[in-house]
Amino acid sequence: MDVVVGAELPEWHVASVSAEKMKTTAALLADPNPIHFDAEAVRALGMGDRPVNQGPLNMGYVMNMLAAWSGGHDRLRRLRVRFLGNVFAGDQLRAGGVVTAVREENGDRLADCEVFLAVVGGEPVLKGTATVALAPATEETR
Amino acid sequence: MSDSSLGTPSPEQVKAQIGRRFPGGTFTVEPWRAWLVADVVLDEPGDEVAHPLFVWLAATGATGLTWDDLFGWFGARASDGPMFGEHETTVHRPLKVGGVYQVSGEITSAERKVGRSAGPFDVVGYQLELYDEADGAHVATCWNSIVFPRRS
Repeated sequence: MDVVVGAELPEWHVASVSAEKMKTTAALLADPNPIHFDAEAVRALGMGDRPVNQGPLNMGYVMNMLAAWSGGHDRLRRLRVRFLGNVFAGDQLRAGGVVTAVREENGDRLADCEVFLAVVGGEPVLKGTATVALAPATEETR
Repeated sequence: MSDSSLGTPSPEQVKAQIGRRFPGGTFTVEPWRAWLVADVVLDEPGDEVAHPLFVWLAATGATGLTWDDLFGWFGARASDGPMFGEHETTVHRPLKVGGVYQVSGEITSAERKVGRSAGPFDVVGYQLELYDEADGAHVATCWNSIVFPRRS
């Protein structure tokens, strides 16, 4: 895998954030917060009329983007994120990033990246940094 | 377990929680759960490597506390609006579907701050370590911060 500093990671898209998957997620996480499954509760809090996506799902989309680029989920070494805003049911999202360093550590070739998740046409809702292991350069050139 | 009867704690009481250890517990990456997590996060279910989101799921799912218990350590409840601040996943060895992981950890930071518009709030950091029950290997670290609004 030929990777250089400044290279942009291929974007990973969510066509429409699903309110139904938020309900399943609430059950999986045993998260009682109704903003994730009850539009009435969202309205009552003055946050609009669409359920709010769980933060871990937003983080998971960025992990998917990194896996699609690097070759699999087993490549992820580190991900640090800051949550900047809410994602609502129906939002269209894009996850992406840029390579900031390529280095070796304990025999692994690693890429450090800046990453983001943003609502299409809007502001980032999550920003962070990540480190993924790259396939050895020789793998593709052999 | 809950200390929420204390009400809003002083900055010193908040700081005194640093080093408080979680009871801890065990988390199994059940195949059905791995499938559902892959589905909700719009990923393809895998037979072997679990989605890395399981570092957070396993760590926070086996602290030995409910969320309300943890909020109670800081005199807060879910209705006070605590917010997810930052998160860091560090993977030393990918988690496996079917794997069983022991979780332990503690509060690592706790500080009262005052925002110009937000007013007073506490930022609490906690770190959880995951160990593979099969061989004792340290497989992942999960660090998080929670923001507790302190309305005066």
